[in-house]
Amino acid sequence: MTTLSYSYMPDYFSLTDILCTEERISCKVEVTLPRLGFLDLSSESEDLKIGTKLELPLWLAQPLNIARESIVSVDIPKTYKEGYREILLADACTVVLNKWNPYYYELGMYLRKFNNRDCEIIIDSLLLTFRSRFRLVMDWAQNPVSDPTLNSLLPRLERDLFLAGRKAKLQLNEWLKKGSNVIETSQSAVNLKKRKRTDYELD
Amino acid sequence: MDPSKIEFLGEKQLVNIVPNFNLDIIYLISGSVGPFRAGLPVKVPIWLAVSLKQKQKCRIINQEWMNIESLNDRKEMEKMSKLFTEMPSNHYIDESQILLNVANDDIPDADRIRTSVKDIWDIRMSKLRTSVDAFVKSEGVHARLDHLTAMEINSIRPLLPHALDQMLRIQSANMGEINSQYSGKK
Repeated sequence: MTTLSYSYMPDYFSLTDILCTEERISCKVEVTLPRLGFLDLSSESEDLKIGTKLELPLWLAQPLNIARESIVSVDIPKTYKEGYREILLADACTVVLNKWNPYYYELGMYLRKFNNRDCEIIIDSLLLTFRSRFRLVMDWAQNPVSDPTLNSLLPRLERDLFLAGRKAKLQLNEWLKKGSNVIETSQSAVNLKKRKRTDYELD
Repeated sequence: MDPSKIEFLGEKQLVNIVPNFNLDIIYLISGSVGPFRAGLPVKVPIWLAVSLKQKQKCRIINQEWMNIESLNDRKEMEKMSKLFTEMPSNHYIDESQILLNVANDDIPDADRIRTSVKDIWDIRMSKLRTSVDAFVKSEGVHARLDHLTAMEINSIRPLLPHALDQMLRIQSANMGEINSQYSGKK
């Protein structure tokens, strides 16, 4: 499945990555920012004062936080904090992770970049969560489940896995049922764009 | 990979047939087959056997392992063992699918063989699912599964490799090695 391989590395064109970095993070301003008062709708002043709390998208919060003198300090979203991590530790399979955040894993990996003492624990917790939920995803993918809401229960990363697994399973079932079918030309061979003789002679 | 591609690979396996015509050796890129003498058994690839059978030019002799006793023995062994037992052929499920479909009349006990092969397949698939889950949970980095056949390996693709990739991705985020458009270096 091509969409999945695009999301492996956050590259410039990865839609998952773009949507994930849209996520709002609550930040606190550490330096007075002149003429940026309009960012905080509640204040009337022209400048953005120290200590103002506001929500910035991840793509903006990160460069502002990473600089030597951080311009904003970042508060990690509550779904990554200890209380929520405990829930995941207890039983990750019962959680509707998509409701917490559709890009739970991706965002968690980005949070690693903030200077926060919890970061390493967050990654460990992500890994553990993924491990224990994998059985769930695999079972759903390999057994016929006719629940249309299933898609909306899984966060993006798991959903891509689920759809790929489901597709393979359907193909296998199809084959087991009716035996052989026509082998299609592989996509890479189609993309070669071999010139047809008819086109060639027309020129 | 599509299961029919695995089946395509499986069709290269050899099978004995009894032709009812005479023909010299046919030279093919993958090797020569023949000569064909009416009434004498000869080994040919399955794809050729299927084509000849459809033209009613031969009778297919079933594979040695395709008899009900040995299959039931294998089934019992598979049930007993915790590990995967060795299968008679790397393409047992596809071979039996093809041969039983096309040469139903040549193979004695075709229906019971079909059921037996399906049982073995089901047992092995459930074993495979359990071991995949155990592997992912165990934090292991490699696993060894002997005697797994082509179609079975294909059945956990792309789910397992993709899941392992994602796990690596999450893990490497902790090492600070993850590439990003923000860090400026790739």
